[in-house]
Amino acid sequence: MTIHTKIDEKLNDKVLYQNLKGFATAYKASKENAYKDLDFEVLRTKVHDLKDRDLSKVMQQFNQFKEKVEKHGCKVFQAKTGDDACRYIADVMKSHDVKYMVKSKSMTSEEIQLNQYLEKEGLSPIETDLGEWILQIANEHPSHMVMPAIHKTRQQVAKIFSDYTGEEVDPENIKAMVEIARRFLREYYFKAGVGMTGANVAVASTGTIGLVTNEGNARLSSTVPPVHIVLVGYEKLCDDFGQALDIVRVLPKSATGQIITSYTTWVKGRTPSHKNEDGIKETHYVFLDNGRLAFLEHPKFKEALKCIRCGSCANICPAYEMVGGHVYGDRYIGSIGLILTALYQGDEAAKDILKMCIGCRACSFNCPSGIDLQSLISDLKLVVGKKYGINPIKKKVFKSVVAKPKTMKSLLSLGANFQFPLTSTHKLNQEKIIKTVPMLPKEMDFRKFPALASKTFSKRFFKEGYDQFSSQRKVFFYPGCAIEYFYPEMGLAMVKLLQKSGIQVDIPKTAACCGIPAIASGDPDNAKTMIFNTLDKLNETAGYEALLVLCPTCGGAIKHEFLDFTKEDPDRYKKASQLGEMVTPVGKFLEDNGIKFKVLGQKNVTYHTPCHDSRSLGYSAEAFLSSVLGKQFIPLTDSNVCCGFGGTYSLDFSSISNGILNKKIENIDATKAEILVTDCPGCVMQINGGLMHQKKAVKVMHLTEFIENHLVVVE
Amino acid sequence: MKSQQNEKLTLIIKTAMKLLDQFLEKSALVGNENLIMKMEDFQKDFKKENFEYIHLPSFNKSLDIRAGEVGIKRALIEADFAIGETGSVVIDSCNENLRLASCLAEKLDVIFPLSKLVASMHDVAQFLEERTSGAGGYVAFITGASRTADIERVLTVGVHGPKEMTVIILNDL
Repeated sequence: MTIHTKIDEKLNDKVLYQNLKGFATAYKASKENAYKDLDFEVLRTKVHDLKDRDLSKVMQQFNQFKEKVEKHGCKVFQAKTGDDACRYIADVMKSHDVKYMVKSKSMTSEEIQLNQYLEKEGLSPIETDLGEWILQIANEHPSHMVMPAIHKTRQQVAKIFSDYTGEEVDPENIKAMVEIARRFLREYYFKAGVGMTGANVAVASTGTIGLVTNEGNARLSSTVPPVHIVLVGYEKLCDDFGQALDIVRVLPKSATGQIITSYTTWVKGRTPSHKNEDGIKETHYVFLDNGRLAFLEHPKFKEALKCIRCGSCANICPAYEMVGGHVYGDRYIGSIGLILTALYQGDEAAKDILKMCIGCRACSFNCPSGIDLQSLISDLKLVVGKKYGINPIKKKVFKSVVAKPKTMKSLLSLGANFQFPLTSTHKLNQEKIIKTVPMLPKEMDFRKFPALASKTFSKRFFKEGYDQFSSQRKVFFYPGCAIEYFYPEMGLAMVKLLQKSGIQVDIPKTAACCGIPAIASGDPDNAKTMIFNTLDKLNETAGYEALLVLCPTCGGAIKHEFLDFTKEDPDRYKKASQLGEMVTPVGKFLEDNGIKFKVLGQKNVTYHTPCHDSRSLGYSAEAFLSSVLGKQFIPLTDSNVCCGFGGTYSLDFSSISNGILNKKIENIDATKAEILVTDCPGCVMQINGGLMHQKKAVKVMHLTEFIENHLVVVE
Repeated sequence: MKSQQNEKLTLIIKTAMKLLDQFLEKSALVGNENLIMKMEDFQKDFKKENFEYIHLPSFNKSLDIRAGEVGIKRALIEADFAIGETGSVVIDSCNENLRLASCLAEKLDVIFPLSKLVASMHDVAQFLEERTSGAGGYVAFITGASRTADIERVLTVGVHGPKEMTVIILNDL
């Protein structure tokens, strides 16, 4: 099945849609509540730092752990591969002549596909976590790391239980279903000769593991049977209980929005166990490598080993929310799932799913271990793009058009001149759009496309004499492709506003692309050419107060990606770094300079925070608008959640893009605002396109246009 | 001298009461029944026959049973600590029968004196270290009944372990 077939299947699953949407909303609220009065940044920095270590440190922790448990007669096995771990566990079961093993939830066992292995050997592992058990008897795999059966309805579970037990199950009564699980699984705890758990943390100072559960199944699995096997990745090691508790403090809050789970259990080795002849538990620790140890030495990918498996990168991912974990991930799920699939299973297994990341960066800001997940995904996209190739049409366009500013300019001006048979004026807002795009596949037809501007921004800037204004106070403005070719009026509105305030605006002589489309598509070579083109055309920073952008994605690229791509070119790196420091979204510049406004008219206004404003440039114009507009400002629910654009993503994964956009439009509808302001031309293209397609009369404006038309400067 | 001592005592009580409020809020949040009692009232009201398993070393009260597959109705266990930050009780459960009872009782009652209430999880780090330094150790933070939200995210209690939990706090200050 191709990735697109899988995506379509999931997008048509109404149960999945409702479950994930409901969860996303509820999760945000409960997480906020759980972290109330705590400083999330401080807590996650702590976890990040304690997990920031190299191979030798981890091996030191491992050796300490090993010594602490081996001296009391526990067994420690170092599994190089998943199969090694499976074989060891099977051997322990066989050596005791045991058929049943009760196991509590372990993503590591999913990673190594332990159940499949044991079943082939004629052994019976029994999942005891309710969600996992449902999936085990339904022969499915988890779609979420913490809530494995989130894609199932109660009716579906009732059917699964009724087929399995042969009993009648009331399809509405969840309590009764939970009772069934209690009854059946209780029997297995006592029948099983071995209990297996994972470990959320492994404390080196004593050789203790920490288990975080709500159901209490890990307690029973580690208590009732006479043998306990712990399957754990090396990355779960920490020095002492201080560190372990730092992790436990954030884990449940980020995972499910609970302050703490019902049970946090600290287990060390050879506890009393009457079922053994000597009255003491037999305990085995299986430490899994499966690539972990190698990546601990990798300058960037070692970050992924800081993951504490809370699953929250899925909880706030707009693309995950559309398709669920059976598509968005593999054995591991969510943003970290895309990454770990590449690291543990190889890039071949990850090459398609990596593309599903829209690049909104929400996960990077939400991770309780402070992992910059999106940037790891972006790096891996470049790796697989180079290795397996990208869409050949895209590649050609990047190479022969976008990476060549002059060709791009002449082609698009040709387009602007000859598009007229295709363009029309939209009835609701009088904007020039493409009436019908020839041969546009049906799934891409969810928004109106803006027509190319008849004259580019640069052309108008020089032709209309804006370059003649000179002042002591100067800013440099990087327009980016969207302003240059589609929305010159957004740029001109800003230029006029600043000149009125006595500020000279300079722009590059030739427009060039910032490289983000190529980076997001996994085309590092063309991205590099584009970045060098842009960098070489931007003026040096001397004499300028700021490098202004109206597209935060371009701004974010200059600030972050330009550094990555110029690492081997000291001169360019230096320039990129200096420019990056000066990148400022226009709203911030106005606020910083104390330029005050008052509103004209009575219209109600709402604001969408672009992903890269809030998460690449650390700014949102929400507070600014709210203070200028007062009661006329209506906050937008999930203002800083992605609009679904993502540049070419909205064409590559149009159905996901459309789904995300629809949620944004639902929220916009709820504000009843007449104007939606945002400050990214990409978001304008997406949201305005969608609203026009759905014939909704909300006017979408870039912040600069809104200021020009609805605000006046207060002297 | 005496007034200084009094002031110190007032401060201790004030801090403990603030912590207690925090504990009660968190404990109630997970559906626990919370009772605050005077030591002598607890002694007076205590009825051994209500329980199948009792472990109250500070009161010299115990009743032993090895809970099996059918479970037991009700267990009463003394906690080593309680944590204000999370509303949890901390129980050294290395004793196998205690562990089985706390896992398999339909209803779990946990008791602790107010003087054992600490502010944060980190306050019991040393205790965890001590109790799991030997050959075997098993310490549990318990915060409410056994629960799941695995079917349609509907919170349901009593999936494997206790279906109800009561916390009794003895005011010993």
